[in-house]
Amino acid sequence: MAFVELSQLSKSYGKLTVVDRVSLSIEKGALVCLLGPSGCGKTTTLRLVAGFVDPTGGEIRVGGRVLSAPDVTTPPERRNMSMIFQSYALWPHMTVFENVAYGLSIRGLSKADIKTRVDNILSVAKLSPLAERYPSELSGGQQQRVSLARALVVEPETLLLDEPLSNLDANLREEMRFEIRRLHDQYRYTTIYVTHDQAEAMTTADVIVVMNQGRIEQAGSAEDIYKRPRSEFVARFIGGTNILKGRRSGDQAVDWGGIKLTCGDGEFAAADETAVSIRHHDIRIATNAPVDGLNWAPGAVSRQVFLGSHRDYLIDLSNGETVRAVAPPDVAIPKGQPVWLQFPPEHCRALAQ
Amino acid sequence: MTVAIERTLPVRRFAFDWSKPVFISLVLVLGGLVLLPLFWLAYYSVLAKDGSLSLENFRALVTDPTLRKPYAIAMGMALATGALSCLIATPLAWLTARTDLPGRGVVRAFVTASFVTPPFLGAIAWEILAAPNSGILNEIYRWAFGLEQYEYLFDIYTFEGLVFALSCYTFPYVFTLVANALDRVPTDLEEASAMLGGGVWTTLRKVTLPLVLPAMLAGGLVAILQALTMFGTPAILALPAGFHVITTKIWSLFQYPPKPGLAAASALPLLLITVFLIWAQAKIIGRRGYTTVGGKSGAARITPLGRYRWAAVAFVTVVLSITVIMPYLALLKTAVTRTVSEPLTWSSFTLHHVNFVLFEFSATRLALQNTLVLGVMTATAGTAIALLVSYLVARRSVAGASLLGYLATAPVAIPGIVLGVGLFLSYSSPPFMLYGTIWILFIAFLTIEMPAGYQQLSSAFKSIHPELEEASRILGATRMMALRQITAPLLRTSVVATWCFVFIGTIRELSATILLTTAETKLVSVIIYDLNESGDLGAISVLGLLLLGVSFAIVLLANRLPVLGGRRITALR
Amino acid sequence: MKHFVLAAAAAVMWLAPHAVQAAPPAPYEPDQALVEAAKKEAKVVWYTSTDVQVSEKMAKAFEAKYPGIDVQVERSGAERVYQRINQEYGSKIYNADVIETSDAVHFLVFKREGILAQALPSDVAKSWPAEAKDPDGFYAAYRAHLSVIGYNTKQVKAEDAPKSHADLLLPKWKNRMVKAHPGYSGTVLTGTAALSKLLGWEYFEKLGQQKVMQVQSSTEPPKKLAQGERSIMADGNEYNLFLLRETGVPIEVVYAQEGSPIAIGHAGLLKNAAHPNAGKLFYAFMYTQEAQQLASDVGGLRSFHPGVKEKEGRVPLSKIKVLFTDPAEVEKQIETIKKKYEEYFGT
Repeated sequence: MAFVELSQLSKSYGKLTVVDRVSLSIEKGALVCLLGPSGCGKTTTLRLVAGFVDPTGGEIRVGGRVLSAPDVTTPPERRNMSMIFQSYALWPHMTVFENVAYGLSIRGLSKADIKTRVDNILSVAKLSPLAERYPSELSGGQQQRVSLARALVVEPETLLLDEPLSNLDANLREEMRFEIRRLHDQYRYTTIYVTHDQAEAMTTADVIVVMNQGRIEQAGSAEDIYKRPRSEFVARFIGGTNILKGRRSGDQAVDWGGIKLTCGDGEFAAADETAVSIRHHDIRIATNAPVDGLNWAPGAVSRQVFLGSHRDYLIDLSNGETVRAVAPPDVAIPKGQPVWLQFPPEHCRALAQ
Repeated sequence: MTVAIERTLPVRRFAFDWSKPVFISLVLVLGGLVLLPLFWLAYYSVLAKDGSLSLENFRALVTDPTLRKPYAIAMGMALATGALSCLIATPLAWLTARTDLPGRGVVRAFVTASFVTPPFLGAIAWEILAAPNSGILNEIYRWAFGLEQYEYLFDIYTFEGLVFALSCYTFPYVFTLVANALDRVPTDLEEASAMLGGGVWTTLRKVTLPLVLPAMLAGGLVAILQALTMFGTPAILALPAGFHVITTKIWSLFQYPPKPGLAAASALPLLLITVFLIWAQAKIIGRRGYTTVGGKSGAARITPLGRYRWAAVAFVTVVLSITVIMPYLALLKTAVTRTVSEPLTWSSFTLHHVNFVLFEFSATRLALQNTLVLGVMTATAGTAIALLVSYLVARRSVAGASLLGYLATAPVAIPGIVLGVGLFLSYSSPPFMLYGTIWILFIAFLTIEMPAGYQQLSSAFKSIHPELEEASRILGATRMMALRQITAPLLRTSVVATWCFVFIGTIRELSATILLTTAETKLVSVIIYDLNESGDLGAISVLGLLLLGVSFAIVLLANRLPVLGGRRITALR
Repeated sequence: MKHFVLAAAAAVMWLAPHAVQAAPPAPYEPDQALVEAAKKEAKVVWYTSTDVQVSEKMAKAFEAKYPGIDVQVERSGAERVYQRINQEYGSKIYNADVIETSDAVHFLVFKREGILAQALPSDVAKSWPAEAKDPDGFYAAYRAHLSVIGYNTKQVKAEDAPKSHADLLLPKWKNRMVKAHPGYSGTVLTGTAALSKLLGWEYFEKLGQQKVMQVQSSTEPPKKLAQGERSIMADGNEYNLFLLRETGVPIEVVYAQEGSPIAIGHAGLLKNAAHPNAGKLFYAFMYTQEAQQLASDVGGLRSFHPGVKEKEGRVPLSKIKVLFTDPAEVEKQIETIKKKYEEYFGT
């Protein structure tokens, strides 16, 4: 049975709906990532779970207990959760030790007990030598680890992370992604992780929940989301893709401005108009006319950039559309040269939305 | 690597969340403070002599030249004061914030001192200095040039003299705002101008000044507001010169036979003017204000003064002598000289005034005690309420919290004398019989000081990220615990500053006090004013210095008290 | 005024025009019982408009005579004292035990409103002339003083000094004069009433064009003279001039040819006094020969006690042309006086 359950959760400020009927079940011990662009409602959803925001509709249950509903809300301090904030929110007037010990002393633990537990978590987080420092004397990465230690030391039922890595530089960010996953594997707290960075989500999450305009677009494993996006939004947001808009033509095919595309995957929109997604690197480029196969279209190179590991092409097609494709670095076709593109049916995914 | 994973930690016991009841009581308290006097003011202003509702008071206001003229004079006075304050304060602020002027810290200290000095005391000091015949400066002038009696250089009992004396005590408002703005003008903007070939003066004129212009205007408006609503200084300087400003006129309407209805009606236009001024100031600051000047913080660009250095020092010295040093010296001299006009020599030296004030004058002790008790009470209660209000507003933790912010800010638009009239009407009859107790003064001071306290603390709250509190709450602290353990220590400096600010404010206050004081509730400010009416300048000087001494001591103490001495708070963001 | 429906302040007084009529009470002399009772109260609150230094000395003298009873002196201008007692009584605050102002009109009002107690110290019963006490024994003249012209002898030679009110209108005194305000000072209110009756309002209209320095209390012009801030005082207290002159300040009194207005300062015991016995004791003390002599010596005040001896150098009252005013008449004119005054003098 799911440990954290959001059902039909909504939050509106006046006429503005920020979170729109979100339903989600999170298994105990799972790490779920809420992924989406800024303003998609992911942070508000997290703050609803934390209890900082009261819902206007729906409810949140944790371990079967209703914590949030429009009429009754359990305040954050009674939820037995921990949270890691974007700003780290370390208290500048307390040392690292005091910061980490805070949650324990609120729980009324003895001094000795507190010391043991704090020392323990500080050593896990490689912070022991810094215990007596003040936050302002730490680097960004160290502050981040203090924030993690402070959240973990109280052994929460649920751990919430709000863009925890966005203030770090690129190298450190990559390292911390794995660190977070490692700690999760060690402690197995039920975790909700909010980010706008797909790589972060893919590295850390058991389940990725893609949000857009206050709603859940799609939830699933990283592979699921990437390979089988259910909507144009998800396809675009996760990895580069071409969205080809055409009309339904037969059972498995779409008429895309005169080019017939057979799709091996996905579901078509009920209506006449439908879209097809194909990743940049799934498009094949040939300089000769095709001998056989489906989904070929003629065009000309309008831009070509060498990016080391691959070449990035922009190709104008005969039907007036432009698509983006990548090719190995040794496939160098000059600008203006006519080419043939193939959209392999197994990679063409019809999108319902 | 071996952290106990078993869930043995107790979940914190639950406590009642006080935010809703606190919110409701604050709304009631602040609403009562602000709205009750205004209601009675409005009611009395439309009450005719026979008890029916009528507009006769307003008709009198429009038709009676003895009511219209004080308004015109007061407006002129206030505008002139605003302009003069800007003229004095802007160069001073620039020199202090942006040049290599020697002794910049001293300048700031002196400006602060001038802020602590009650304006009415300053006005009396200027009487001592620049009364046309007996003023020390004029005596020196005659002596130096061998002139006849009656020749004089300055006459403080004139419109110009009044504007000057007011400006001495309003310029710190402009100074503070402009200096803060200058501290924040991003250096890169100036550097960009310098790189484009603009010299120091071009940069100053084309870039720096336009950037601080809003701050100067905003400060100027505050100065205008202060001048317009001040009672003590005009009462001391304008009445001898034979003219009324609006505050003294309203006060005179309480003389026998009292006309509270007319006083209420005369007070309302003043209220409208101040509301307008506040609105204009908010507009200026909001649109392109100094707060938005922002930019990267970096050490402010310091302009070397070079050969103008000594000219600048001379300018600063003159300004500070006039506004701070000379008035203090004048008070000091008067305190120990037999009569004001005598020069201080061994034969004219006397401790008579000191002796009189400390041992003979029976009002001294009570007044000093009342002043201190009220000051401490108001500062403590005011800071506490302002703290709660700014917390609720800053964290929006209760629906409608911003209402509280408006209520706490509203009194800024109510001039002291208007509030005095309103409070007198509200609390001198049942059900609230507070007139004659120190509670009515407490209410007056609390109301008057609320906006300043709220403003200070709410900006302090804005500088503390809400996530700092949320981090505490999610770890199990209630709202109140988070406030106590996290927010309070971080706010300590601001709270102490606010406390001192409010305390000084109550000591300076005279406009509302003058209408609300009684024998048992005399304050030092009032006995100084009373003594001035009977011409006892020596006693005034002693009392004034005593008052200043005590307030400086308290402010110093509040800042140094080991109980309040906190740990380093370097990275307050 | 009489219909002014005000819950607050002064108007309350006007709402209840009791006609107090009673026979004068028996004269009293403080006895042991009264002193004992007063000592239990330990305190007396005196609202006065007499100069603060004089009042404080009077208080000290009383405290010396009756140890254990403190006198709290509340000194303000006469009109401020009046304004305050009105505000306080309107709010049912009974701080004051004994009240004294230089404006005789006030005591007409106090008596009418019934806030005074009947009390007739034996000195008053025995020696005071009828004009100087209330026939019903509600109040009596504690002091009298003249409003006079004065000048600074350092700045003005005796032969050049003004001799009359008319002299004050000479151009040479422009910018040289100081005077007190009738809206604030009872002495000056009385004086303004007397002079406007005698000389007409034209006198004040012309005086108003002389750029007179306007102060509030009638105690202040002598001090401005002493400072040398102004050379001539157009009106102000005689007693302050006496006092200052006797400490060596170069000032001199002028009794104008047209006459000098006299202000009679009554005192009364308040009915709702917080310290009734101490108040009664103090009230009797104020009229004793020793107190009156003290007021004369220290305060330069004129006394109705026949035993009081004027200090040397002070012109006895009998040799001065004194202008008396009828308080009842002054009361009717207050509005006019204030209005005219503001018209001519600006405040």
